[in-house]
Amino acid sequence: MTTSLFGIGVSGLQAAQLQLTTTSHNVANASTPGYSRQTVIQTTQVPQLTGAGFVGQGTLVESIQRAFNQFLNQQVVSGESQSASLDTFTAQIGQINNLLADQSAGLSPALQDFFDGVHNLANDPGTSATRQALLGAASGLIDRFQLLDQRLGELASGVNTQIASTVTQINSLAQQIANANQKISLAEASNSQPANDLRDQRDQLVLQLNQLIGASVVQQGNTYNVFIGNGVPIVLGATTQTIGTVTSTTDPSRQEIGVVTSSGTVEIQESTLQGGSLGGLLAFRSQSLGPTQNAVGRIAIVLGTTFNAQHVLGQDLGGALGGNFFNVPGASVTGNSTNLGNAQLGAAFSNVGALTTSDYLIGFDGANYTVTRLTDGTQQVFAALPATVDGVTLSLVSGAPAAGDRFVLRPTVNGASGLTLAITDPARIAAAAPIRTNAATSNTGRATVSAGSVNPPPPPNANLQQTVTITFTSANSFDVTGTGAGLPAAGVAYTSGGNISFNGWTVQISGTPAAGDTFTVSSNLNATTDNRNALLLAALQTQNVVANGTQTLQGAYGTLVSQVGDDTRQAQIASDAQDAFLQQAKQAQQSFSGVNLDEEAANLVRYQQAYQASAKVIQVGSTLFQDLLDAIQ
Amino acid sequence: MRISTTTIFDLGVAGLQRNQANAVKTQQQLSTGRRILTPADDPIASAQALQVSQADGVNTQLGVNRSQAQSQLQVSEASLKQVGDLIQSIRERAVAAGDGALSGSDLKSIAADVSAMYEELIGVGNATDGGGNYLFSGFQGSTQPFVRNAAGTVQFVGDDGQRLAQVGASRQVASNVSGADVFERMRTGNGTFTWAAAGANTGSGIIGPGTVVNPALVTGHNYQITFTVAAGATTYDVVDTTTATPVLAAQPYAAPSTAIAFDGISVNIEGSPANGDSFSVSPSTSQSIFTTVQNLVTALNGNGGTPLANNLGIALTNLDQALDQVLGQRALIGSHLKEIDALNSAGDDLGLQYKSQISKLQDVDYAKAISDLNLEQTNLEAARQSFLKITQTTLFDYLR
Repeated sequence: MTTSLFGIGVSGLQAAQLQLTTTSHNVANASTPGYSRQTVIQTTQVPQLTGAGFVGQGTLVESIQRAFNQFLNQQVVSGESQSASLDTFTAQIGQINNLLADQSAGLSPALQDFFDGVHNLANDPGTSATRQALLGAASGLIDRFQLLDQRLGELASGVNTQIASTVTQINSLAQQIANANQKISLAEASNSQPANDLRDQRDQLVLQLNQLIGASVVQQGNTYNVFIGNGVPIVLGATTQTIGTVTSTTDPSRQEIGVVTSSGTVEIQESTLQGGSLGGLLAFRSQSLGPTQNAVGRIAIVLGTTFNAQHVLGQDLGGALGGNFFNVPGASVTGNSTNLGNAQLGAAFSNVGALTTSDYLIGFDGANYTVTRLTDGTQQVFAALPATVDGVTLSLVSGAPAAGDRFVLRPTVNGASGLTLAITDPARIAAAAPIRTNAATSNTGRATVSAGSVNPPPPPNANLQQTVTITFTSANSFDVTGTGAGLPAAGVAYTSGGNISFNGWTVQISGTPAAGDTFTVSSNLNATTDNRNALLLAALQTQNVVANGTQTLQGAYGTLVSQVGDDTRQAQIASDAQDAFLQQAKQAQQSFSGVNLDEEAANLVRYQQAYQASAKVIQVGSTLFQDLLDAIQ
Repeated sequence: MRISTTTIFDLGVAGLQRNQANAVKTQQQLSTGRRILTPADDPIASAQALQVSQADGVNTQLGVNRSQAQSQLQVSEASLKQVGDLIQSIRERAVAAGDGALSGSDLKSIAADVSAMYEELIGVGNATDGGGNYLFSGFQGSTQPFVRNAAGTVQFVGDDGQRLAQVGASRQVASNVSGADVFERMRTGNGTFTWAAAGANTGSGIIGPGTVVNPALVTGHNYQITFTVAAGATTYDVVDTTTATPVLAAQPYAAPSTAIAFDGISVNIEGSPANGDSFSVSPSTSQSIFTTVQNLVTALNGNGGTPLANNLGIALTNLDQALDQVLGQRALIGSHLKEIDALNSAGDDLGLQYKSQISKLQDVDYAKAISDLNLEQTNLEAARQSFLKITQTTLFDYLR
């Protein structure tokens, strides 16, 4: 009996000691990330059958378990992944949002300054001060375009850098998970007890990995296999698959994610990589950064092209026809680096009003070219080039494409960075119209001639500035003499206010002319105070020249600001909602697995008492034995 | 529910941060005075604010255009007033010269006077604005519009170019007037036809103002009125010299004056024409004010008496035409200035509206923001204190 008392007492002591150890371990790891509280699984020893029945033999510690719920944990992991993705997206788009937020630094005031400059030129076309001021305002506008583009470019290169560093971290975490797999296999092979702390560490690594990239885990035995994207394995048991960055085949300025193989890095389709900060970065790059850059570029291209078109119809201070005011960058079209054919495609703007902010993918299947607008997936099929898509004319410059070749058309990507001033001499600004009309002072009739206008589109007629004389032969008809197509013309019927067009100009004569009255249209020499072309240039500010005649230049910028603001707000709302969800998932998971110090304090007291009691049992056993010895003496 | 100690701390800290973020945002709104700190705070309102401020920018620039046009028009107005005053003075001199009692030297001094005013008139025609551009040269601002040719006649070498100013979103007004309209293109005579006495006349017949009686009958032909004095009776013939057909023949002339009417027009001849004296009637042509004044000077320097009276008559008629034309141009400028004034007040109103709209869209409501801040501060304080309370003690504190 004494033996069993000792045995039971010792088993109690041992169990209490383990309980105390485990409780201490819980207390010590209360704030260890990923730690699941551990509990001792205690049971009774196999009882001994006696004539009096089953006599208890004390207690037995079966195992030490961690409080871990796979489902709750998965909620936290996917929540963290989504949250990291949205946080990254929000932080990135927030930078564009802040860039556009500053009313004094945005594009809008620079556009306003520029057009104010054109108006001031129209008010006083003869002084060099207003001309110089317009050139200054134009430089300011170009600087603003370039500043915006530069900031967006910095964001893009920042994204590339972050992608590279994230990929390094992913590889490191994959390696650590593989190591943990190996350690757990080894540790659990020797006995059937779970390696609690190692498993916690591995789950924590999976969580950290998910904060970087959405990854799915498949448990096989006691090891984890980890996959990203559409089932690309990065951890299989104790082995890992390295991923890396690779320059995009379509755009040399972009870094794509790929699987590193012995024959090079194979791109993983970007759209399959979701979740985690990497997913957020990729989404930001494709959904916000590119479109913003394109939208700013489109404003620059439309401004430059429409302004030039009017400017070349004017005449500068020296009497020469206007040249281009801006140098407008062209569309970018590049072939994939993996193309088999040697085709070089060219792209030129045919109608800047029809430009979109989208990029386009051009595929050649051996017979047809399929052009896909990337923002909405609209496709157009052409059997041959040249073909026009959304204001851009595509042509085959040289070579021939092979079936399967792909090209990327980015019409407006270079707009903001490439816009420059074409003139530096203030006298070259074409504020005047190249022609003027005159009624002879000797006219006896009561007819007046309009100031005349130059017919768009450019280029102007070669005979535009030839002197043309309109002589009335009666009150109802006139002769036209001069150099140019259709001249001389005799006996033209006169309608008051009707258009009279020759040599690329149009004038109207109205009123009642008398026979012998003459009107001349001639070169506008010395026209230092003519502001007709400047007025037409100024009018471009309020004309709907963007997006198929639906928006003004400033309106297009307003749309961009509102779009980015909207996207940012949506991202913030989604991020807040995700954070709330994550908070709940974490609470549920912590409620199950987390350490509560008060509980542990109570347990300490409880197991201390159990230990003291078991010690008392041994003491009683010892006293009984002493009593027996005393009886024998 | 079990609460893990980590959760207590995490939740507490998250609550503190949330409250702090709210308070900081309200503080930023208060310190910037703006409700919308970035477009994301209110995408719709910020796009609207952008649009309105663009419209405001355009409106402000139109105001600048108007004040520029206004000052240019005022300069032109001042010059035109000067032209009108000069024509008026010349007219007074011409009227004074009509006094038959004046001697030849008196007329010469009047001629000298008119000559000086003629020069002054050329000076006004070549006036420049503040920027050194000629007011009346049309598009050729740096070209002097009125120059004397080799024969000493003043010629207009500018053009009819209108310098337009964008004074409203869709309204342009001319900020100059054409030199040709002010100084050239004066219709001679009464605007339809003019008249003159032949230089070789010997009688005292003076042709007076002609009038159009019936515009429908006006032919626009040249006519000659020839007087015949025979046997004490004075008669006149009218011949259409354009078609060489007689219009009236041997009509009696009743002294002292007779109105001669034919083909819808009527001219008055007074005095005693001599036998063979003739007068011509011809369609009005364009003539510059300079020619009119120069003709007046020539007449004043020439013979007095009947030829002078005839020349003064036509000069006065032409000067009246010139004055009318200048007044017409001044009225045009006046109407432009009036329109600009109206547009200015409309533009100012619009500017105020835009500003209040922008303010409504993006400015902070101070009362609301301050009250929000107070609430957020209270929340933050509550979160801090409760967090301290809940974390201050654990069961370990009692294990002694």
